[in-house]
Amino acid sequence: MKLLAIFWKDTLLRFSSRSELLFFLVLPMLFTLILAGGTNNQGMERLPVLVADQAQSPLSQQIVAELERSEAVRPVLVSLEQGEKDLKERQAAALLIIPPACDWETLQAGVVELELRQLPNDLNGQAAAQAVRAVLWRLGSAVTIAHQAVAAAEEARRFEAAAEREAYFDAALSSAQRLMAAAPSRLQVEPGAAAGSVPYDPAANSSAGQLITWVFIPLIGISALFAQERQAGTLRRLLVTPTPRGTFLLGTVVGNVFWALVQMALLVLFGVAVLKVRWADHPAALVTMLVSATLAAAALGVMLGAFVKTPAQANNLSIALGMVMALLGGCWYPIELFPEAVRTAVKVLPTTWAMQGMTDMLLRGQGLAGVLPEAVVLLGFASAFFAVGVWRFRHQ
Amino acid sequence: MKPILLIGWKDLQVTFRDRAALLFMLLAPFLLTLGLALVSGQFSEAGRIEQIPVAIANQDDGQLGQALVKLFQDSTLADLVSPTVVADPEAARRLVDQDQAAAAVIVPAGFTASIVPDDGAAPPAETVAITLVTNPARPIGAGIVRAIVEEYLSRVETGRVGGEVIVRQLVETGRLMPQHIRAAAPAIGSRAVVAAVAEPALRLRAATAASGPADFNPMAVMAPGMALLFLMFTVANGGRSLLAERAQGTLPRLLVAPVTAGQVLVGKLLGTYLAGVAQMLILVVGSALLFGLRWGDPLGVLVLILAAVFAALGWGMLLTALARTPGQVTVGGAALMLIFGLLGGSFVQFGLMPGWWQALSHLTPNAWGLDGFTVLSLGGTLADLGRPLLGLVVMGLALGAVSLLLFSRRSPEKQL
Repeated sequence: MKLLAIFWKDTLLRFSSRSELLFFLVLPMLFTLILAGGTNNQGMERLPVLVADQAQSPLSQQIVAELERSEAVRPVLVSLEQGEKDLKERQAAALLIIPPACDWETLQAGVVELELRQLPNDLNGQAAAQAVRAVLWRLGSAVTIAHQAVAAAEEARRFEAAAEREAYFDAALSSAQRLMAAAPSRLQVEPGAAAGSVPYDPAANSSAGQLITWVFIPLIGISALFAQERQAGTLRRLLVTPTPRGTFLLGTVVGNVFWALVQMALLVLFGVAVLKVRWADHPAALVTMLVSATLAAAALGVMLGAFVKTPAQANNLSIALGMVMALLGGCWYPIELFPEAVRTAVKVLPTTWAMQGMTDMLLRGQGLAGVLPEAVVLLGFASAFFAVGVWRFRHQ
Repeated sequence: MKPILLIGWKDLQVTFRDRAALLFMLLAPFLLTLGLALVSGQFSEAGRIEQIPVAIANQDDGQLGQALVKLFQDSTLADLVSPTVVADPEAARRLVDQDQAAAAVIVPAGFTASIVPDDGAAPPAETVAITLVTNPARPIGAGIVRAIVEEYLSRVETGRVGGEVIVRQLVETGRLMPQHIRAAAPAIGSRAVVAAVAEPALRLRAATAASGPADFNPMAVMAPGMALLFLMFTVANGGRSLLAERAQGTLPRLLVAPVTAGQVLVGKLLGTYLAGVAQMLILVVGSALLFGLRWGDPLGVLVLILAAVFAALGWGMLLTALARTPGQVTVGGAALMLIFGLLGGSFVQFGLMPGWWQALSHLTPNAWGLDGFTVLSLGGTLADLGRPLLGLVVMGLALGAVSLLLFSRRSPEKQL
């Protein structure tokens, strides 16, 4: 009964302001959606690349036509002045300048170099450069082949006239372009997974990562509840009632764990319904991971609650610690991006194990047995944090 | 003027003595920037993802399969990939399934023969394809391995097409008799190889909009993004302190001193403004020293910081004018900080977002500030900051005017 009373008191305190819903649901869903690429225009809309065609030759027009056929970029023809102005004003990420000498004659004689000006620190600029290079490689390698064909022909028998040589080059070029276009795909890509095929899905990564981030922050924030009660003197008052310290602690933790599980369940439902994340494939593994991660975070909050002095300190610490632990635990970016030493070092963080278990489940198709090691480590964290918190709480 | 300066200085001291606030103003952005620096490979030699474990199972007894294995083992890729050659495809798949490899490259038997038929035999009707098994938990590494294999295959294809075109043209023009094709094969083959490995005749020179090579340094976006994110906390904290003084009764006491309400308000705003400027300067200097980040023209950086804090202060004032309790400012400030961070490019790069998002993002000081810092990191100077500075100053003035209007509509005793 007392547990219920403490649980109800904490619930009223937490949800007394409607703004809590902002952090409980609205912001987590918004972040999940955005970081999953919900409004990402890549794939849906081709990147515009400004093209200043100073040659206006058949070759330059073919380059533009090839860019039109690209799945990644969309050429927008502009004058050089307009292109430079737009790029300076960051209206576009890249400007391709086709020089006046870009024609078949120059190409037959040697090399034609195009210039791509791109915004630095801009992923669209990088993507545009990659797409333009792919187009130029396709066109350019056919020209290289034609050059080699002409050289081989000349070794066998010299051309009688320049026109004959040119015709030979044209025929070889056309043949090479046709064969390159008809080339079959010689690469078959398949996702690796222990059970079934689960392709990499940024939405799954985002859904799991944001779920951990947004649930860890308020759970670490349990520390603020203790600090608040301590500062306001209500903790002493509570403890002079016939309520054992353990009951108070348990009531506070159970209440927050309950609401964290509700929040996680709602975010899981959001992931399934909106982002089509396969949360429901392994229900037993899911429940195990959610409960163990929640307990680890709540225990961390209890431990910090025994050390922090003011609610402001606790609030700031929980947000800062939650964000840093989430980033380092691989909740925002894949952990493979970290150097090897850091990947090993971040194993001291519960967020790393929580994320590892979630990705094992969502991306590697693992069931309960597969996520048990991570769950056990998280429960180990929970026991250790809770033990330190209770010990410290007893001595206050 | 003196009371304003005294109140401002007092608030600045109070802010920098508050360890809880400092934790959020300085430590959190530093730690997050450090984490992002690690993610972006700032501290690795190559400045990128390194030593990607890749499993290779080559069942092809021809030269192309072996060439692919050699490519992965080549010293030029030694920093990037760490190949493990295994005997069979199942072993390679197992390494991926056990998260020991980012990808497995499986070259099937007959791969070379499907492209370069032996002794002039006809190529098989079915395409023999290399299988790439990707690790879903290591998308970046798997993507890089895929790019390596794709580039290799496009060169193989160029070689194949080259050989075919050369032979066909020679035969069609009577320079080579069909019965002599086998004898000419070595010479033709070497020409096809030249076509496959040569730099393409159509080349691309990439450059940044200003000058120099196109060098992608994600830190130039991440560090200012984090600094601007936590700037919103500082201005909200300033607003919170104003309402806290009223709630604690220290404000009425201040007002019995020979100062006007306007002087107190301006003094408090000055204190918050100075705290924001100090925070940004510490983060800029700190990240320059710690991460070696070049922020650009110092004068431009200073003026941009002054303008960005001015605009952020406008939002802090509005929040304070709308709130009734210090708690509301704290909650509203945290929400605004995160929303502005998301919208303004602190978490996601603008360039990846659709046009409407980019337009909306300029309601935040973060977006204008990031625009300005990008211009400076490009080598721009104060003279190139026209648009961002104008945007920030207009934002600060407009929000300040609205906030003052809201303050003035409150009953006199609640104006502050």
